[in-house]
Parts: sequence; structure tokens; C-alpha cells
Amino acid sequence: MCLAIPGQLTESNGDEGVVDLHGSLVKVNTMLVPEATVGDWVLVHAGFAIQRLDAQEAEETWAVLEDLQRSIEAEEAGGAGA
Amino acid sequence: MTRRSIDMAEVLDRLNTAAAAIDRTVTLMEICGTHTVAAFRCGLHSLMPQNVRLLSGPGCPVCVTSQSDIDMMVALGSLEGVIVCTYGDMIRVPGATGSLETARSQGAQVRVVYSAMDAVQFAAEHRDRQVVFAAVGFETTTPATAAAVVEADRRKLDNFTILTSHKLVVPAIKALLDGGDVSLDGFLCPGHVSVIIGAEAYRPIVHEYHMRCVIAGFETLGMAAGLTRLTEQVRDGQVLLENMYPQAVTSEGNRVAQELIARVFEPATVAWRALGEIPESGLVLRPQYHQFDAQRRFNLAAPDSPDPEGCLCGQVITGRATPHDCGLFGTACTPIHPIGPCMVSFEGTCQAWFKYRRPAEPASAGGRS
Repeated sequence: MCLAIPGQLTESNGDEGVVDLHGSLVKVNTMLVPEATVGDWVLVHAGFAIQRLDAQEAEETWAVLEDLQRSIEAEEAGGAGA
Repeated sequence: MTRRSIDMAEVLDRLNTAAAAIDRTVTLMEICGTHTVAAFRCGLHSLMPQNVRLLSGPGCPVCVTSQSDIDMMVALGSLEGVIVCTYGDMIRVPGATGSLETARSQGAQVRVVYSAMDAVQFAAEHRDRQVVFAAVGFETTTPATAAAVVEADRRKLDNFTILTSHKLVVPAIKALLDGGDVSLDGFLCPGHVSVIIGAEAYRPIVHEYHMRCVIAGFETLGMAAGLTRLTEQVRDGQVLLENMYPQAVTSEGNRVAQELIARVFEPATVAWRALGEIPESGLVLRPQYHQFDAQRRFNLAAPDSPDPEGCLCGQVITGRATPHDCGLFGTACTPIHPIGPCMVSFEGTCQAWFKYRRPAEPASAGGRS
């Protein structure tokens, strides 16, 4: 039920926006992401954009691994993690 | 594509290296129905080292909803002039007198909606009917319900109410650990709940319970990376909170969503399937929004509804049993004819085990091989 899908905000007007979800244009409520502007990537859940995503990382899903690598390197460099 | 496959290989290599250095079984738990399904869909269980187990915890909202809440939803649907709006996941969950789906086949008005806001709009368009939204879900879903209540208030809709079964993840983790029945090495924390509550919300689990928490997204790689870090922490004797989904999850979470939830709801002791009543683990409407409370409007008393006879869903969602331990699994209880909620929901552990034909574990019921 907590599935959320990343999409790109293509229209924004007040609390109403349109998100491009892999080619499907879907209306979303943007009240939870007031900082999001057209062109931003957002996570969409049950008709609401719930988070603005870092654009580069949203487009490159394999970046998770780099985060893993970064956290490991940080840990190796300076002790305790997160 | 090449790069991606190499990366996955690297992650699995690290997971295997870490697991090989541990001379016992590492038991990890995810607490998210979406993780349950994602793990099966990509065959993650089959890629994991023999001595790393991933259990499914109480993370499927449908599965943790108490039998009495389900009976109330079905009872509401049968009232004259009432239309129940619900997310699709809930419609087939059987209560004592049938499901919303069977109630609908007998004439009850039940509609599946994609968003809580759709239920508000439906109420605005049908002012001669009472529209009740069956509000289930964890923190990911709750802001949408809160927004719907605020919108109904703004539009002064006197024919819209919610039957709330919203629940909070962190109190459930604490209750699970307080119960002491399951021996765990760490939690794979739910990515999208964490988007709302923030990574720091798990700090008490790490500090007070000395339990590892790693937040993961839903890509195969993200989940594998989370499991790898948990296993490496076990190997290295660490107990850390780590966020492996930083592109979406921040330390403090979505403050706007948190404020919206706090404006409309307040924490309360609520009943969970299997876990019983847990203090401050659910959300109820604040007094200023009581006019939107379906239980008050229709004067519903929560029925004392026992779980279905022979059903082990409760044990399954708390990691105390696997579906194969249940005498009903795959025989009397199937996705076509579900008896317990874990077989109904597409995110339910039993349905996932059935659909993906996961065999029984050689050392079931928590044994350490």
C-alpha cells in the first residue's frame, strides 16, 4: 500500500499538478511538496506528491549503490555511520 | 545495463562475504508490504546467502487491520444510504459476516478509490448520500486522509466521514521487540513511510532497543544494499541507523506532511491484528474534526471479533510462523478463497509465498541452523 512512484512534475498550479509517470500524465495534489516546481522529480502516492526527489538520483536508480559506497567510505574514513 | 548488473553483483558479493564471516543465522525483518512483494518479484530470497533470513513483519496495512475494524467497515456498507469508499486492497478482506466485496454483491454501496480526495469529491457530488472513507494505512498514506478531512471541512461537507484505522510504524516495532518472541538482528525499514517520518524516527529503536535499522528503497539493488549493510553491521558488531534511500528520505522527513497529520489526528491506543492493543500506535481524529468520525456519526461500537479459526496471519506478520506452518495455507486459504488478510492483500506475506511458490524453510519457526 505504501508504493510510491517517481515521476516528473510537468504542470503546477496551486496545490494541483500533473506528473509524467513513465509517459502517463496523472493529476496529483502537490500540497505536501510546496517547494516542488515544474521539472522536478517527485514521489507519487495515492494521488499526492509526497516528496521531491534529487533529480539526478531519481533518473539514475543505480545511484543507490554509490550511496552505499559513500556511506562505507565515510565509515572507513571517520568511524560511526549515519 | 552492464553497469547495473555489475553493481548488483558487487552488492551480492559483499553480502556473501559478510555472511560467510558470521557463524550463525542472521535474521532480518522488513516491515513493509511493498518490500515483501518487491523481494519476491525480483527473487531476492534466492540470491541471499543461506544464513541470512528475511522475515516479513507487520508492514502490510491490510494485514494488521483488526478484525473488528473490518467488521465495522462491512457493517457500514450495509447501512441504508451509505456509500463506503475504500482503497482496492481492503475490499476482499473477510470479516465475520463477509467482506466489502460480498456485501456489495448483496446490494451494499462500495466504491474503490485511488485517493482519499476522490472520496471527498464523490461526497460533494452525492450530497443525498453519506460517504464513508475507510482510512487504512501507515504514515505514507495518512497525509492524504488528513488532507481529505481538511478539504471536506473547507467545503463544509456534512455527508463525508472517515472510519480510521491509520497506524504508526515505530510503536509497532517497539511492541514487537517488547513481546520478545522473535529473535532479530535488524530491521530493513520502510522507504516510503520514512519519507514522511524521517530517518531519525528510528533512532529510539537503535538507542533504546540496541537494534540495527537500515532504511531501504524498493529497487532490487536498494533492498540488497540495505540487507548487505545490516549483515555487515552484524559481522562488524555494530548497531547503527543507516539511510540507504537518501534520494527520497531525509533525516527529519516531510515536515509539511507531519504538520498536516498532527493538525487532524492525535495518537491513540489502537488494536492491531496479532499484536493486540499498542499504546500510541494509531491515529484518531482530533476533537475539532469529530464531525468527520464515522464511528461517532453512525454510533458504531467496535465489535469483539475473533480472528478466523485456524488462521495464523497473526503469527506470520510477527515473524513467529511462516505461511507453511498454517494448516489453512494453500489448501483452505488461497488467493481465490482467502481466509486471512495475509492471503487477501497482494502485499500479504501468505499471498506472496503462495504466488511465488516459496517452499517451506528447513528450519522453520525461528530455528537457527
